[in-house]
Amino acid sequence: MSRMSKKCVPYTPFTGKLSEATVALVSTAGVHRKDQPAFHPDGDPTYRIIPGDTDTRELMATHGHYDTTDANTDINCVFPLDRLRELAAEGTVGGVGNKHIGAMGFSMKLKQMYEEVAPAIAKEVERSSADLVVLTGG
Amino acid sequence: MIQREIEMLGIPTVLITVVPQESAVNHPPRAIHPVGFPIGNPLGKPHRTEVQRAVLLDALKQFEVLNMPGKILDRHIAP
Repeated sequence: MSRMSKKCVPYTPFTGKLSEATVALVSTAGVHRKDQPAFHPDGDPTYRIIPGDTDTRELMATHGHYDTTDANTDINCVFPLDRLRELAAEGTVGGVGNKHIGAMGFSMKLKQMYEEVAPAIAKEVERSSADLVVLTGG
Repeated sequence: MIQREIEMLGIPTVLITVVPQESAVNHPPRAIHPVGFPIGNPLGKPHRTEVQRAVLLDALKQFEVLNMPGKILDRHIAP
């Protein structure tokens, strides 16, 4: 398949109902479980799989390019997993994904590495139960 | 880049950004920018659950409305 121009915007229409859709979170705010290796604060192309049943008290943010104080006080500032769970419990969304992704986001000098990692992250999401994805940065 | 890759696999996505100029470079399929929310707080302040919920709901709403792919929508949500 030929490479798509950067000016072209990929777009998958959503034709379902939010109340029947499973939503997953993908973060570039450096979110990870406390029992997972921290991201390198200067830049890190790796990602973490955050299991869907993770207690948010087990999550933290490691990032060199924004102040993570608020994120580490309440991870929902950057990774609204508790809010998403509430929306699922009340039926606004159909469900919460069985895995979410935490990563650090991209700096220009690591762009080439991330061009390999971004498709890998997308594949993880594809293999998950997610119908829709909400992305957040820091 | 991650968002484009996920969208290309057929999974609709929406971005919540507080750095819209940076995000615009990647032409996100759907994106909201909660105006005035600082870097580090795309969904608001710690334990402000109503604000966090409002931002998340606004993002999710973008799946149910007509979109302008590539455009980042400024949204005025009470912080």
